[in-house]
Amino acid sequence: MRPNRTRLQHLMRLGTGAFLLSLAIPATAAKVTLDPSNWSHPAGDACVSCHEKASAGLAQQWHDSAHAKAGVNCMDCHQAEAAEPDAREHEGQIIATIVSPKDCGRCHTVEFEEQQGSVHAEAHAIIAERIPALAHNLTGPAMQASGCDQCHGSVVKVRGDGTLDPDTWPNSGIGRINPDGSKGSCSSCHGRHLFSKAQAREPEACVRCHSGPDSPDKEIFEASKHGMLYASQRHQMNLDADQWVAGKDYTAAPTCTTCHMGAAGKLPPTHDVGLRNAWSLNTPVSEQQYLVILDDGSKIEMPASADVPKRGSEVRKADGSLAKVKSVADPKRRRQAMTLVCQECHGKTFTEAFMRQFDNVVELYNTKFGIPARAIMAELYDRGLLTPLPFDEPIEFTYWELWHDEGARGRHGASMMSPNHAWWEGMYLVGRNFYSRFLPQVREVAGADAQAIIDRHVGSSEQHQWLNRPGELNPILGFGAGEGGDG
Amino acid sequence: MAKLRLPLFITRHVLIALVIGGLGGVGFMLFLIEFDHYTSSNLFCTGCHSMTYAEESYQSSPHYNSVSGVRASCGHCHVSEGIFAATWDHVRGTKDLFKQLFGADYDDPVINLLHLPEAAFHARRWFKERDSATCKRCHELDAIQGKRADTATIHREETEGKSCIDCHYNLVHRHVPSEETFKREAWNRMVEEEFGLAPGTAEALLKTP
Repeated sequence: MRPNRTRLQHLMRLGTGAFLLSLAIPATAAKVTLDPSNWSHPAGDACVSCHEKASAGLAQQWHDSAHAKAGVNCMDCHQAEAAEPDAREHEGQIIATIVSPKDCGRCHTVEFEEQQGSVHAEAHAIIAERIPALAHNLTGPAMQASGCDQCHGSVVKVRGDGTLDPDTWPNSGIGRINPDGSKGSCSSCHGRHLFSKAQAREPEACVRCHSGPDSPDKEIFEASKHGMLYASQRHQMNLDADQWVAGKDYTAAPTCTTCHMGAAGKLPPTHDVGLRNAWSLNTPVSEQQYLVILDDGSKIEMPASADVPKRGSEVRKADGSLAKVKSVADPKRRRQAMTLVCQECHGKTFTEAFMRQFDNVVELYNTKFGIPARAIMAELYDRGLLTPLPFDEPIEFTYWELWHDEGARGRHGASMMSPNHAWWEGMYLVGRNFYSRFLPQVREVAGADAQAIIDRHVGSSEQHQWLNRPGELNPILGFGAGEGGDG
Repeated sequence: MAKLRLPLFITRHVLIALVIGGLGGVGFMLFLIEFDHYTSSNLFCTGCHSMTYAEESYQSSPHYNSVSGVRASCGHCHVSEGIFAATWDHVRGTKDLFKQLFGADYDDPVINLLHLPEAAFHARRWFKERDSATCKRCHELDAIQGKRADTATIHREETEGKSCIDCHYNLVHRHVPSEETFKREAWNRMVEEEFGLAPGTAEALLKTP
């Protein structure tokens, strides 16, 4: 397709580095460049013949797939070298049960490279250290396999006898650590063995994990105008199309994929799902995030408050190794990418004003609740008024739910236009929690010192001054002026 | 009626020798049959402590507890059918006795497990060389129904050129990978973890005879 010169050139002026280079590639799904002589493994037919009987559903899904049409068979994905940790012999062939992103990346190179280092691929690594304090202590390790790891991914353990440890497998969590060292699971979103394009474009592809109290993105999307349009105009979504560029191949409604990964106008698709997110929304305090792209292909998210490294400098990765910074995408640039999607359907002023409304909610959450609550908790820990162990004191649940559940819901609700989640399920509960649970519990924990602590972090803020006007009448509770109540 | 006349070389002594030899031969065959029967029994096989580890996994397998009430003994699977073949297998089996007496301490569960893979590979080769003959003593390909309808079809249509053991290994005893994918190091670490031993103990134990 022909690039739109003016917009592209304008963007090129705005920034440098890999992020913008990626904007210059055509906005179609990446084509497999591997020569077809590399697939259609001769042993594949025998697999199919038997599996049509042994697991007919699975075989039928493959028969209906684009893989089958292209001649990609079971062995092309499942073949393994005997030396691989999870290799096993099966009917005369050496195979691995797990098809890792690295395996898929043999053909789907671009998607693999984009996905590695993404917030999805790092989903396990991000919470690995924290899991014991919640899942193990609060409940028990059994919950890790059926809870946390189902979405975040397990560290798949191959036992000494070659079998996969059932505590870690089956698992298709998106940040799964595979026996071959690669991170992620393509089948998390691309249901095996059909690997349907349409299925991955549906919002349902994300629902298994992006639902529930801490990230109710399914519920938010459904409650938004976007979701309403999608539900009523699904038949116009062109979901089966080979190329699926928003504004060109479909205009009825966006899905999760559209905004977070999809091609839109001149914006190319990406399998780095967090690339277009300017904010962190699932943290105690939201921060604008830089995306640091390293020369080995990996990426690091860095909050704007951190010392963001320059191009060419060396940074230490989470695993301790050093890598050179190839490029840095600042939050503004990431927001720009998202905005390009919006602008396929909305005007610039409209889009910018919406982003402002969203940013205002995040700022409000941060300044009024997130930052003070965090500072108060830090002081309680510093003074030894709370034990360092999380969740052994009621206030720790209160604080956790304030930012992790209610606070995240409110921020997500504002980002994706569900008024219910922004307010009733979100910021209303944040406010109720803060004033009716959190502060009273601070008073219980800190006793005589409580008032000083609260005053230090809350009292000075204009946002909390309404508490000092107890005489102000309002009819909202059914009392007061105009309601004929006691007032 | 003509009198039955024996050839001249059948003298009285020859006749006695023949009767004694014949009876001795029958006795010997009866002995072999009884001997093979006894040495194929679970009681005999698990007489050595080292074999009780294999017995544990066997006793939790369907070959020990089958709904049909049929119970396969050690010998049913691991000793060939027919008195000569069975005897030969037992003669060859004396190497196990020799190793039990003069080899590593197979009675020790750690040593036993460390050596298990080689034993499993050997047993699989034994089945393969005989085209899974002992499986076929009981299992008839055409009669295999299975619990699922597909099981019968698969056994009729997908087994050409294959022997039972090609697919059905790790059926009765503890899981051991195929020889080509076996990783000694990973196996050793598993054994150490299972018995709470320090890393490297397995290698040291394998070196000591």
